[in-house]
Parts: sequence; C-alpha cells; structure tokens
Amino acid sequence: MKNAKAGPLLYGFLVAVLAASIFPLYYSFIVASKDNSVLGEKVPPLIPGGNLVENITRVFDTVDFWLAMQNSFIVASSVAISNVVLGTLAGFAFSRLRFRGRDSLFLVVLGTAMVPTQLGVIPLYMLMSDLDWYGTLQAVIVPVLIGSFAVFWMRQACEETVPYELIEAARMDGCSVLRTFWHVGFPAVRPQAAVLGMFTFMTAWNDFFWPLIVLDPNDSPTVQVALSTLASGYYTDYSLMLAGASIAVLPVIAIFVLLSRQIVGGLMQGALKG
Amino acid sequence: MTVTRQETEAAPAVSVSPSKEPKRFRLSSWDARYTPYLIIAPFFLVFGIFGLYPLVYTAWVSLHDWQLIDGNQGFVGLANYVELFGDSKFWNALFNTLSLFVLSTVPQLLAALGLAALLDRGLRGSAFWRAGVLLPNVISVAAVALVFAQFFGRDFGIVNFLLGFVGIDPIDWRAETWASHLAVSTMVMWRWTGYNALLYLAAMQSVPKDMYESATLDGAGRWRMFWSITVPSIRPTILFTVVTSTIGGLQLFAEPALFDPGFAANNSTGGSDRQFQTLVLYMYEKGFRLFDAGYAATVAWMLFVVVLVVAVVNFTLTRRIAGKG
Amino acid sequence: MSTRLVGSVAATLAMVLVAGCGGSSGADGKIELSLGLFSDFGYDKLIEEYMASHPNIKIEQRKVKMEQHNTQLATQLAGGRGAADIVALEEGVVSQFRASKDKFVNLAEYGAKDLKDQWAGWKWNQGTTDGGEFVLGLGTDMGSLGLCYRADLFAAAGLPTDRTEVAKLWPTWADYVKVADQFTAKTPNVKFVDTGRNVYKAILDQTEEGYFAKDDSYIAESNDKVKAAFDTAAALGTKQQTGALEPFSQDWNVALKQGSFATTTCPAWSLALIKAGAGDAAAGKWDVTKAPGEGGNWGGSFLAIPKQGKHPKEAYELAKWLTAPEQQKRIFKETGNLPSQPKVYQDAEVLATVNEYFNSAPVGQIFASSAESLKPTYRGTKDSKVGPVFGTALTRVEQGKQSAAEAWTQALKEATDAAK
Repeated sequence: MKNAKAGPLLYGFLVAVLAASIFPLYYSFIVASKDNSVLGEKVPPLIPGGNLVENITRVFDTVDFWLAMQNSFIVASSVAISNVVLGTLAGFAFSRLRFRGRDSLFLVVLGTAMVPTQLGVIPLYMLMSDLDWYGTLQAVIVPVLIGSFAVFWMRQACEETVPYELIEAARMDGCSVLRTFWHVGFPAVRPQAAVLGMFTFMTAWNDFFWPLIVLDPNDSPTVQVALSTLASGYYTDYSLMLAGASIAVLPVIAIFVLLSRQIVGGLMQGALKG
Repeated sequence: MTVTRQETEAAPAVSVSPSKEPKRFRLSSWDARYTPYLIIAPFFLVFGIFGLYPLVYTAWVSLHDWQLIDGNQGFVGLANYVELFGDSKFWNALFNTLSLFVLSTVPQLLAALGLAALLDRGLRGSAFWRAGVLLPNVISVAAVALVFAQFFGRDFGIVNFLLGFVGIDPIDWRAETWASHLAVSTMVMWRWTGYNALLYLAAMQSVPKDMYESATLDGAGRWRMFWSITVPSIRPTILFTVVTSTIGGLQLFAEPALFDPGFAANNSTGGSDRQFQTLVLYMYEKGFRLFDAGYAATVAWMLFVVVLVVAVVNFTLTRRIAGKG
Repeated sequence: MSTRLVGSVAATLAMVLVAGCGGSSGADGKIELSLGLFSDFGYDKLIEEYMASHPNIKIEQRKVKMEQHNTQLATQLAGGRGAADIVALEEGVVSQFRASKDKFVNLAEYGAKDLKDQWAGWKWNQGTTDGGEFVLGLGTDMGSLGLCYRADLFAAAGLPTDRTEVAKLWPTWADYVKVADQFTAKTPNVKFVDTGRNVYKAILDQTEEGYFAKDDSYIAESNDKVKAAFDTAAALGTKQQTGALEPFSQDWNVALKQGSFATTTCPAWSLALIKAGAGDAAAGKWDVTKAPGEGGNWGGSFLAIPKQGKHPKEAYELAKWLTAPEQQKRIFKETGNLPSQPKVYQDAEVLATVNEYFNSAPVGQIFASSAESLKPTYRGTKDSKVGPVFGTALTRVEQGKQSAAEAWTQALKEATDAAK
C-alpha cells in the first residue's frame, strides 16, 4: 500500500481537501487584512486588503498580546509535556505491566473521559478559590496535567508497538520497571507521543471556556482570553479579532513543524517490530 | 478497551515469578508490584481532585434547590430529576444533541479514515499535507464560529450565494431545525476531520509493511487490503476515536452557541425555538442564565449518563463492524 | 528529545508554581482596584487622571463581552472570590443581581443616598432595592430611546423625510404600524424595521408594569398590555415587514450596509453601531427622531461593589467619582454614552449636541426629552429570565415558524415556568 505510487488524481484530490480546510482560514485572513466594513459586502471578498499591518498593530495596542502568547505558551507546553510524560508512563503500565486491578482501573480511566467538562465549572471554581489560585496560570494547568485521552492514547500506542520480548529481555537483565520503560517503552512510542504532545498543546492553546472564568484578563490572560477582550465592545470589530486570531495560530503551526519529524518518524517502528 | 483480548496477550508480560529468581526477589518484587501503581497514580490524583470532586459535588447540588449565586436553598431529593423527565425542553435538547452527534461524527470519522488512507500513501512533502489537514483544528473556535456564521448568513452568506448558482433559494440556516443542524455539523466536521485523520494515520504507520506485501503477492486490490488489513489493524484506534468523538460530539457547546446570534445578546441559547439547543447549552441556560444551579446539575448528570450509554453502544457496534475483516 | 524534555517539564512546572502569577494587593504598597466592565465605558482617560490625583491607588480595567461578563460575575459571586472591586451591571440583568444583594456592598453605608438627586428618578430606583434602603449600584449611562430611519427609503415610499414631520406620523405605536403598511405598499422589497422584538420591547417599556406588578408578583398572563405589545410587534412579523434580524449581529450589519431595512428603535448608544455597520456610504441617509409613545430606555448600566473585595471604601470613592456629573459629561463628549443625570443631559452643551452622521440630528435634545418623559416600567426580580422568552417567540413569528397565536401561547407557558 505504501509502495503504491501516488498519482496525479490523488494529489488533485488532496489539493481540494486542503483548499477546503484552508479556505475559512484564508477568509479570516482576508477580513483581518481589511477594515470591518468588508463583512457587509454582497459578494464575499476574496482578495486581501491593505490593512493587515494596521490591524495587527491595533491588536497589540489594545491588549497585551505578548503576555498572552507567553502565558498560552507556558500553559500549553506544560500541559503537553506533562500529558506526554505521565500519559506514556500510565499507558505503558496499563498495557505492558501486570498488576492487580489493572483492567478495572483502566475502565475507571475510560469512565472519567465521559464526565462533561462544563459540568464541574462551579465546584471547580470554588476549589480554585479555596486554593487561592484565581487568576493564576496553575488554575488552568494543574487540572489537565494528565487526562484520560493521554492514558488511553498511549496505552494503545504501547499495545501496538512495544514488543513483549524486549521488555522481558530488559527485565531479565535486571532493569527496573522505570528503566525498562525508558529504554524499551518510550523509544517505541515516540511518534505517538509526539502526536499526543501536539494535540494536547493545541487543545490547551485553544481552550477558552474555563480560562475565561478563572483567569484575570489583565494579569494572566491566555491568547483566547485576550481575543475575547478584543471582541468586548458592543460593536464587534471582526477585523481586529480575526487579526488577533490569525497571529495566535502561528505558534501552533511552529510547534507542528517542530514535532512533525517525530510524527513522520513513525516509519522507524517497522524496524523495531521487524 | 479490548479487555478480554488483553488478558490473554498480557500473560507473558512482566510477571516476575519469585521462585525463578530468588536472588533479586526483594527489590524486583517490590518494584514489579508497586511501581505500576506509582506511575498511574498521577492520573488518579489529578482526576480525584479536579474531576471526581466536582462530579460528586454536582450530584449533591442536583439534589437541592440550589441558586447559582445564593447557594443551597434546601434539600429536595429527586425532585429535580422528576421534573427533568417531564421537561419537554430537556427531551428537545437530547434529540438535538443526538442528531448533531450523528450528523457530525459519522461522516467525520469515515472521511477521516479515507483521508488517512490517502495520506498513508508515500506522498511527497508529507509533513505539508499533514499540517494542511490539521489546520482547521489550530484556529480558535471563536474565530471559526465567526467565519462560519458569515458563510451561513441568511441574506448574503457564501453558502446561499453558491446555492443560488444551482437555483436553490436562500436558506435561513438558523431558523429551521435540519438546516441549523447541518450548518453546525459542517462546522464540527470541518474542525475535527483532519484531527482524527492524523490519529488514524499515526496508527496506520505501525501496521507492518510485510502484511501488505504478502497481500499484494496474493493479488489483493487496494480496496480489499484497506478493509482486510488496514482497518482491522488500527481497530483499537478506531474504537478510541469513536469513544472520544462520542464524548466530544455529545458535549457540543461552543459551535452551536456561537452560531446563534441571539446567544451573545442574552436572548436565546440555540435558536428561536431551541432548534439547535444541545444538552450542554440547556445546562448553560439553566445554570448561568436562570441561575438555577440545582437543575443545571441535574441536566449535567443526565448528560453524563447519556454519554456513558452512547459511548458503550458505539463501542460495541464499532468493535463488531471493524472487527470483521 | 527525552531528557531535555523531562528537564523542561520540571523547569516549566516549577516556574509556573513558584511564580505566583500576579497577586492582588500592594506590591508597592498601593491599593489595587479592578473594574469589571463590558463594551466601552470610556473610562481610559479618567482612570489615568484618578491615579494621578490618588497616588496610592492603582486601577485596572477588565473588559470582556457582556454575556461573558455576566457569567463570570455570577461564578465569582458564587465562588466567593475573583470578582473585580467594582463591577458593571447592565440594566437588563441588574434586577437579577439585585436578588442576591447580600453579595454586594450596600452603598448607602458609605453615604450613597446623599447622591440620589444626581440621577433621573427612575434610574436611581433601578439601582436600589428594599424601598430605597439598599443602594446596589450607581448609575452610569442610560439608553434613551429614539427612532432611527432611512430618509432616502422614506422618500422612495412617498413618506415625509423631515424628522419633525416623521415624528408627527407616529404619535403612537398604532400609528407606527400604519406607517409600516404604507411603506410596505409602496416599497415591498424593503423591510420596514429590523426586528419586531425591539418594537415589542419599546412598547412594553412604556407601560408602568410589564411582566411583574410592583409587588414583584408575576402578571404577564393577565396583563393586557403585554399581550397588546406582543400583538403589535407580531403583526409586523406576520406581514413580513421585519428583517428578522438579531440587532448588532453580523447579519444586521450586512443588512444595514445593504440598506435592507428602513427603521430601527435606537437607544443613544446604538447610534455608533448603526454608523459603524452602515458605513460611510450611508452618511446623511440615516436620521433620528422621537419614538412613538412616551419616551423609552434601553440599556445603560450601574457600578456595584461586590462584598468580597478588599477595599470597599476606596472602590466606592472611585465609583462615586466616575459617575459624578462632571465625569459623565466628559464621557458623553468622548464616547456619546448618554448620561443618566438631568443636570448633565440638560446641560446646554449636551443639549446642543448634533450627530453629523445622522443628518446632523439634534440627538442631545431628542434623547434628553425621551429621558424626561419616560415613566419606566417596573422590572421584577425575574424580568431578565422572562423577557427573552417573548423575544424568541417574536423571532419564531418572523421566521415563519409559528403563527402569532402559537408563539404567544408557547411564550406564556415558558415564561410562567421561568417565573416560578
């Protein structure tokens, strides 16, 4: 399958898919590069205007976007790294170690995923109040340091890619559980770990319901909080807001490019399995 | 997940039998016995504090007449639940939730599967294509909703503009139930198809190549290989995405909220006749608009039950379907 | 990737946990006050001045969308922490927060009652409870109601275009409906009004009691005036004379720009929105005149002080200063937010204000007289829960989903539930 050459038809189709996934982004870029009146046009505009720089400047004048980016970066990378490390460990345990109650504990993990996130906002807020975490970044980091998604995903990854023989061999050599994990488990699941890191980074970067409630828009804004400040007027300045949203995408794309080598590296598993 | 299969496969794993290794008995057995608990502990710790506590607290709240700001006004037992079962708005929201879920999730996962299969075929510049399909998930949902609200505008939206070319009259996307469901589902699909496609892709890449090679030698076509090798091999991931998109799809909030211009104006939550009000939106209306936290907590708990039931059903169904090669 | 990654997790986490990102009080011995606002109150310059004259005080504004503002505030009041020292309460929700008055400072404790005469009587009353004993908030701006119309579209329909003439067309809302019929007969392709919902609201706001009697009992079912207002607005919807638009939404902006509706009920603060939406091309085409009936108000806010704040006294001083006549006048000049104090809106300079975009309409005069003649409706504690139900009902009529009668029946049922 992999060896099958990709023909022009396939590329054509992918270009169409890509166009569909990019068009709304392109459209928001167009609005960001014009003034607000563009949305009132009868025929939708398709060519960028000349106000992009001005709109971006206004974004930085209106809110402390650097601080917001920095905060979002701290939040998203802490959440991503912690989910990768703790999730891989837990996934490894659930998939490749034997201990009493393992399967029922895993069912509990599954069950926790079903808890609606908006459900607990008020009690969670009260908890944050008691911890005196209102307006601090840990209020948005700590509750999601490790989620069921990470455990679930990494368990699957270990199931698929970590060979028992290698683990057994490592254990025979007297490796501790953690060393076994480090030398055998983790290297095998690196691609999936990169995918997980990427996705948790994105989720944390784009989360807004909870941050809006628990963060202080001046002292501790994340990008999404800052964006909502941009749209705070009676009159929504779409150009301003979409200019902000367009800048906010850049760091996530950068992370993707950084991690894409890891993700592409999935091919090397063949060798390990082989 | 595949708990039963697990049992048999896991057998040769890291069980350290003391009788075989008397020398390392102490350290090893402590390590083998307790380290697993130690490394899964963080999850349960975080969940216990930030997940379980709110959950239990919400259950407690649902048994009371509880005003959002003023707090507990007295124990009412199951009265909120009794009211809920007779509440046509609740059933309406449940219907909308399930409809939006089916409309957005089923085509989304099928499209993702197909897209992943295409991306798995030795493409030039693969990182480029991957980044491309993931882009929709990168931008903030508020911006997405804004753009789609414009696309689905009644009078001058792009969608109606394009439909005009094929002679279809402008559709009031927010007024009609089916039209609004279609529009919101489109938004959800657009955001999440690429995401799921990449999850599938990651799994497809660990399917051993030799399986395809021998199948090719047997003269199997691409279509057959896909269904008899690829899909069964990534079955766990498919099950995984089915469960996670079930959870996400049943908890839709931002998309329908932002699609409703009356939401920001404090008027409606999901259409003039609640035609696209989901359960989470109904919960939001009860809790944050009407300040009836007790009832909102009841809705939340019912949502939890619904998610649980639907996830188990979907899991079972998918396992059966994807399992047959 | 491996070790470096782990190292940086630890480092980042430690950084985050140790650096207690932002404490609230006194890094440099200053008292920090926060203002929780939505939209634009026009406080930027005033705050700088206040800090300059009060060197021991540091002020920050938090601005989010109104919907978010209300949600956040409710959560913060419920959680007992995190609310700003001074919070803005919009007229539409102030009655709802009034029900939780024990979460707020009674400003009477700091002598707010002495300020009573600054405001129009109804404005002051909206911000107080317990028969005036509990002062919840000090009034900021108000939303005196006018009626905006497109003169060129009126001309096309053979209607007068001069604003005094237009005002004479509709002494009452029944007359307004007649004008709508004339308009539609001549120019059937243009909608007469953007939404029936605001017509309904404007009519209802001119009655003394709406959904609730003055003793806070629910009377929507028996109050003929509610039904009459609903029927008037619904008739416009049934005859498809409304644009079925959500005011200030994207579709509304587009319709403004395309000139697809001819009138809209416009509170003072909405002139800027109409101007922004309609754009320069429509300059001078829009005009504003007196609304049918007697006066009207939509919107305007109050500044209240949550009890959980650390510096209620300083917060009160600031709120008092921001809402004082001198400051209100300056805000009006800078932003056009209409002051809620007779002394200011009857100030010669304010009265003389014209709005060039609106064909140089004497907006100062129009809005001041609207505020003067207003006999505001009593807002029950659950007004903000009941009101939207009738609004969405009218939208259903406009969308052609229901007949006026069906919409009314459903609205009444939902309203009765919400009022429980």
